[in-house]
Amino acid sequence: MEYKVEAHRIMSISLGKIYNSRVQRGGIKLHKNLLVSLVLRSARQVYLSDYYSGVCLNTQHVEAKEWELMDSNQEKPLTPAPEESLSPSTDCNQNPVVPEDPEVQHTSQAVEDSTDLHSVYSKHQAEEESSSEDSTTDVSLTSSPVTCESQCEAKGAEVSSSDCEADANPATVTEGNSQQPPKAHSCSNRKRTAEKTASNDSPVKRTKVTSSNSSEEEAEEMDTGNVSNLITIFGSSFSGLLTKESSEPEAETEDSDSGSGQICCDQMLKNLNPWSTAIVAF
Amino acid sequence: MGEDGESPKLNHSFLRDYVTEADVISTVEFNQTGDLLATGDKGGRVVIFQREAENVKPHISGEYNVYSTFQSHEPDFDYLKSLEIEEKINKIRWLPQQNAAHFLLSTNDKTIKLWKVSERDRRPEGYNLKDEEGRLKDISTVTSLQVPVLKPTDLMVEVRPRRVFANGHTYHINSISVNSDGETYLSADDLRINMWHLDITDRSFNIVDIKPANMEDLTEVITAAEFHPHHCHLFVYSSSKGTLRLCDMRASALCDKHAKIFEEPEDPGNRSFFSEIISSVSDVKFSHSGRYLLTRDYLTVKVWDLNMEKGPVETYQVHEYLRSKLCSLYENDCIFDKFECVWNSTDSVIMTGAYNSFFRMFDRETGRGVTLEAWRESSKPRAVLRTRRVYTGGRRRRGDVGVDSLDFTKKILHMAWHPAENIIAIAATNNLYIFQDRVNPENQ
Repeated sequence: MEYKVEAHRIMSISLGKIYNSRVQRGGIKLHKNLLVSLVLRSARQVYLSDYYSGVCLNTQHVEAKEWELMDSNQEKPLTPAPEESLSPSTDCNQNPVVPEDPEVQHTSQAVEDSTDLHSVYSKHQAEEESSSEDSTTDVSLTSSPVTCESQCEAKGAEVSSSDCEADANPATVTEGNSQQPPKAHSCSNRKRTAEKTASNDSPVKRTKVTSSNSSEEEAEEMDTGNVSNLITIFGSSFSGLLTKESSEPEAETEDSDSGSGQICCDQMLKNLNPWSTAIVAF
Repeated sequence: MGEDGESPKLNHSFLRDYVTEADVISTVEFNQTGDLLATGDKGGRVVIFQREAENVKPHISGEYNVYSTFQSHEPDFDYLKSLEIEEKINKIRWLPQQNAAHFLLSTNDKTIKLWKVSERDRRPEGYNLKDEEGRLKDISTVTSLQVPVLKPTDLMVEVRPRRVFANGHTYHINSISVNSDGETYLSADDLRINMWHLDITDRSFNIVDIKPANMEDLTEVITAAEFHPHHCHLFVYSSSKGTLRLCDMRASALCDKHAKIFEEPEDPGNRSFFSEIISSVSDVKFSHSGRYLLTRDYLTVKVWDLNMEKGPVETYQVHEYLRSKLCSLYENDCIFDKFECVWNSTDSVIMTGAYNSFFRMFDRETGRGVTLEAWRESSKPRAVLRTRRVYTGGRRRRGDVGVDSLDFTKKILHMAWHPAENIIAIAATNNLYIFQDRVNPENQ
């Protein structure tokens, strides 16, 4: 989690440097700005990947406990699960229960590896509207691996199927009853995704302002490539995510305890000073 | 020891730490004989020092005194892009001497200038129509004719611009290098390298162009370039990714395709946010023999053999203790400092600068390095430089400096080594230090 704060801080510092370089005497130094943008990109990648791996870390503990409890459960039919998971948004409508997080782990890995984050956000928005309550009761590992696999396919992610398959074996042993929790589970995961990317979007929004200015001035000399990549990825869903931010905290606090620690940190992160300094810089 | 013209008797203690930005030295270069030393500063001025003729006692070498000062570049403005062009002198390179005059090239971010430095120590006297001050004489007072003769006068050093090579670069010029053919030179900016003829100012050849069609695809820039010391068709350029490319101009007019590429695979264990920044090469120098290359990145200096592309043959840690501090060095911009590196005349010792007014020398034969300090308080004229140490653990000796007490504003970026003797010139902010090796003044 410290990595996330660190990556966060480095990102805001980098953006400040890019901004300052535009008012420096002698014109924009291409070399320095290129290096700063590389650091910005690395920090963003770490920030993104660390979010998910951080969530996974927290959930793994609970997952182990749950598997011990569920050992006695027998196999459940897996076939219904894939069909349902293929349309996760509708499933969320049914019963937005947020189960434990082994599923989060799988889906988060899926999302982590997915380059098509747009689909994530659009799904999130659809689910956000449909599900407003999140309560965790049962822990269900039923169709988690299968859901994971289908979600992997659905997103076209490069997730190593071994991730899904490896977990498929213990999960089949420990299947629970309901198939809805996994979907709601994935919903909650997407909410976390959105929330996290919402906080990511704040620097993006600001860079968007500055980069458009800079591109007008010295398109040749200013490397806005990485910044504009940020924009294309997050831009379209940013405003939508912003409005949903207020509903998210409540939803998140009701989540299972496995993820709550993480979520609280995320909320804190949004209020961290680096972001306000980034605002001041622009 | 030659220093800039400050009087040591005046006690401006409260002003001592205040350095005018324009006085900061930005480049140092000896000429081919070592008798002349040129420095450029951020204010666009060039100061040339000349070595005094050797004293009667042969083992006390002459001192360097100011020979000439002139304003090379002025602040400029690009009206089309609404950009200020700094007058800071980025590089100075001397041309090989061909007659009594000396020629040097100086460049700022956009324009290169060729200067002729000549001496005048006599002038004609005895004109018939003009008197000594140049006023016209009254003809009625002229009773006889005389032939003007040359009479010795006080030595005057004249510096005149002979060529101005302008509008060749869109980006900031970072290097110039004179070719061994004596007729051409190259200038390199972030994305392009041009070759000029010394006599032609309105045209240059573009020999390297790494600008991508879409600037968003930009991943690396050129950081330094140099011609081979003996082969007029070879040159090398370094990139921000830590690669070196050797190009042969005989292969094609545009040398985008390298003849050799030198790069070292990255050590995955040392990966961090700043790996790319610290692998950027800030300076590249051919050895005098022409066989080796010396490169400087943020934490190391490396020696490369032109015959081996897969990695350097020697790597020396300049200040490895900074590796754990890269984040704060990124915040205060020190991580972007561009240090230079130099060879000695026999290619047996390499030298580079560091922080806290320290500079490092590495003996290639033993592999050992030494840290020295260029600081006025501890350097009285003719005092022996003592070695310094940065405390990084283990037994702490007296005089060791802790990593956290290093002064990162006192950085030694620019330096030069005399081409034949063990004399070095170190630029420390606005001061120039010249050190001589009294034990081994001549190189074996």
